[in-house]
Amino acid sequence: MKDRAAFDLLYRQTSAKLFGVCLRVLNDRGEAEEALQEVFVKIWTKADRFAVSDLSPISWLVAIARNHAIDRIRARREPAAYIDAALDVADPAPGPEAMAVAGGETERIYHCLDELEKDRAAAVRGAYLNGESYAELAERHGVPLNTMRTWLRRSLLKLRECLER
Amino acid sequence: MTLAEDNGPERGGDDLFAAEYVLGVLAADERQIASRRIDADAAFARLVDAWEVHLSPMAAAYPEAEPPIRVKEATDRRLFAAQSRGGLWSSLAFWRGLAAAAVAALAIYIAVPYVRPTVEQPQERLVASLAADGSDVKYLVVYDAARRDVGLSLVSGGRAAGKDFELWMIEGKNAPVSMGIIPAGQTTHLAVTPAVQQKLAQGAVLAVSVEPTGGSPTGQPTGPVVAAGDLKGI
Repeated sequence: MKDRAAFDLLYRQTSAKLFGVCLRVLNDRGEAEEALQEVFVKIWTKADRFAVSDLSPISWLVAIARNHAIDRIRARREPAAYIDAALDVADPAPGPEAMAVAGGETERIYHCLDELEKDRAAAVRGAYLNGESYAELAERHGVPLNTMRTWLRRSLLKLRECLER
Repeated sequence: MTLAEDNGPERGGDDLFAAEYVLGVLAADERQIASRRIDADAAFARLVDAWEVHLSPMAAAYPEAEPPIRVKEATDRRLFAAQSRGGLWSSLAFWRGLAAAAVAALAIYIAVPYVRPTVEQPQERLVASLAADGSDVKYLVVYDAARRDVGLSLVSGGRAAGKDFELWMIEGKNAPVSMGIIPAGQTTHLAVTPAVQQKLAQGAVLAVSVEPTGGSPTGQPTGPVVAAGDLKGI
């Protein structure tokens, strides 16, 4: 397959999902468009690393997009401005379609999130899906930053313990 | 408070740091440190990858959104207009070739179920990425059960003169079963025998060993394993 044809195919199959990731994290269309370009350039230069990942192909691409978008908001964001924006988009539970498509693994992680205390599960989801930082989560949940750090670290370990059960 | 102070030399510090990186909660400077370590420290990179695997099912909640066509046009300019420019870019021919092979393999993995819709179960197409510490040999493998075909894409590395790569299937604690000599080339195929097909369940490990030309004389791997990985669903 020619480079260009391969790239066109990859773009056609994955750009909507990866744009969805950038939009959700960055919450700004213009910035999400720029980020998506950068993400595909990154994928092009890093594609060989996929060979050493245990992720499925699409999850590996989503991870690149997510991490890139999060790096971008960390670089620009004034936390106070974000809090308002976060409230508009903070609906991290997946819709029925997403659940149906994703099937067992998604059901399992939501089952495991349900085992956490409610506000901690919400903090984990907010962090993962919106890319919220410790500082932002601490402010939104009205707890000191170190408390949030302890919450999330314990929650992550509990979550893993449940997922590996 | 820095993370180093917070975790001290205590075991698990790296594991939590990797988890926090993947969750996305770290500050900009901490994320830069993590990102540099992923590039430089294979053990840390594996911790990050394991956490990505654990948390990735949450990503199902991201709704798809069609990007405007101008994004594709701008991306094409950045990636492909460079070819006619020569100069600086031509010196990057090596990594471009490498990247192209890997992108092609990724595109095939993701697109195959859409391009060739069939009645078979989706789990009848499995993929594996084969790699090993201390080796630059990397293969991407697609196993198509219905066609009894294994497609192999060489991402990096190559065989020495007078040597062949042999592909093995390892199921549980059983002895490796040869799937044949991997033909030379960037993208190649191997037919799967009915006997091997019966044993190829999800979770089987594939491995590539270095053998004398023509393959292992003993029926078991005789040379070093230069790449290995699990078969998994797409």
